[in-house]
Amino acid sequence: MSAKPAPIYADNAATSFPKPREVIDTVSSVLGSMSLSPGRSAHQYSLECSRLIFDTREALADFFNCPDSSRIAFTCNVTEALNVGIFGLLGRVLHPGDHVITTALEHNSVMRPLRYLEKTSGISISILPVSGDGEVMVSELPRLMRDNTRLIVANHVSNVTGAVADIEAIGRNKGNAVFMVDAAQSAGVFPIDVVSMNIDMLAFTGHKSLLGPTGSGGFYLRQGLSLRPLKMGGTGSNSETEIQPDFMPDCHEAGTPNTLGIAGLGAGVGFVNRTGLAAIREHEQRLCRLFLESVGQIKEILVFGPAADRERAAVISLRVKGKSESEVAQSLDRDFHIMVRAGLHCAPGAHRTMGTFADGTVRFSFGFFNTEADVTACLTALEIISKN
Amino acid sequence: MSHGPGDNQQKLITMWSPIQQTPTCVVILFSIHFVLKAEKFLKRNGISHDVIPVPREISSDCGMAVEFSCLEKERVLELLASADLRIAGLYRRDGKNSFKPISAEQITANVVN
Ligand SMILES: Cc1ncc(COP(=O)(O)O)c(C=O)c1O
Repeated sequence: MSAKPAPIYADNAATSFPKPREVIDTVSSVLGSMSLSPGRSAHQYSLECSRLIFDTREALADFFNCPDSSRIAFTCNVTEALNVGIFGLLGRVLHPGDHVITTALEHNSVMRPLRYLEKTSGISISILPVSGDGEVMVSELPRLMRDNTRLIVANHVSNVTGAVADIEAIGRNKGNAVFMVDAAQSAGVFPIDVVSMNIDMLAFTGHKSLLGPTGSGGFYLRQGLSLRPLKMGGTGSNSETEIQPDFMPDCHEAGTPNTLGIAGLGAGVGFVNRTGLAAIREHEQRLCRLFLESVGQIKEILVFGPAADRERAAVISLRVKGKSESEVAQSLDRDFHIMVRAGLHCAPGAHRTMGTFADGTVRFSFGFFNTEADVTACLTALEIISKN
Repeated sequence: MSHGPGDNQQKLITMWSPIQQTPTCVVILFSIHFVLKAEKFLKRNGISHDVIPVPREISSDCGMAVEFSCLEKERVLELLASADLRIAGLYRRDGKNSFKPISAEQITANVVN
């Protein structure tokens, strides 16, 4: 009986795996050492637990250069953060008849709330187009801007093609609109500075390149901007009143939080800081270039998205001629123990721009813990699959 | 930075003990986040303090407050102001369960905005 090769995980854009040892250790030691309800009671465990959350909040504020850590609120993922952001602006910044600009590379966690507002609240939407090499054409922004453009939402890094949007240029040209960034794929790989990039709201998720557990995430909200909370309830503060607090972060943190996830996220950010964003990016880009250069030589394979010499994330979409996406992904998993993702990756707009709607693509996404040997194994498998 | 259980136990043992030798002041902040932010600044500046439950006599809120020697009042207020921490209330402890509010004028007079 031949030994089963070690599995290769190449689906880091869905969620990163493995997690750093310290993330695992933090989660398990915290779970085993104290009760996990922060800010509610006055005992030592509750206080220690509040400290864990405080420490992660401060670490994230430093990480994104937020001037004040109280402007960071935790959510259970970036989807929730984006929903709080988009729906929370309604009636405050966004009113019926107002205009929103977004990009053709958005995830459904942005597009579905926006389409809902378009349908129910009379909001109109313009979409920044994508160039031939799969990058958002930020140069089109001035042409799309209107007097009533109140909101611009942009995905920093495409989870379909790895294309990086020039959010700095969007921030420079945002006018009076609120600028919201979906940093799901970029946080932990590409530098983000909310001040120099002029970002009003930054939504992030904890379980991808920030290397934390699932169920963690949050957002930064610029001072002076307020959002209607999506949830109201116990916050541990102002308990004598039946009115939801109106200050950050409490106003958006009703209910007992995911203390474990937040503690683990703190450890993940610690790992990223110690390793260095540049070292992480360099490693992932090396794997990406290695993959792109060789996969380009397999003539049955069609690769989408920016070329290897562009600044891009290690997220690669491709198709194998004559084979369905699910067939390729299934063979990779079953025959080669390589885990990837097939389909639309929750971003139908991106596939419309690439002409890969509605079948989608096979997506390889490499993370910091992947090795060159992993990439070589993926290439060998693809070669065999495409010749069969 | 480790958040291991041993670490926590250590922290619990070495936590500040109440400062009862000199008259103390109690500052109320808007939530636990701001209490911990205040704690960070006081620690960094070597000011002895204690994080305590908000005394029932001050408020029915279930939050935490920061207690410190009244001799440090000016410095504490200055530090909190420099950290942009808004104060929800300031009290002088008159007895075990007795607190007297320090008026808003007195607070703002001490805080350089
Ligand atoms: C660009 C982008 N936005 C949003 C999401 C949603 O992330 P989550 O499931 O953590 O909310 C993802 C990943 O799934 C993503 O890649």
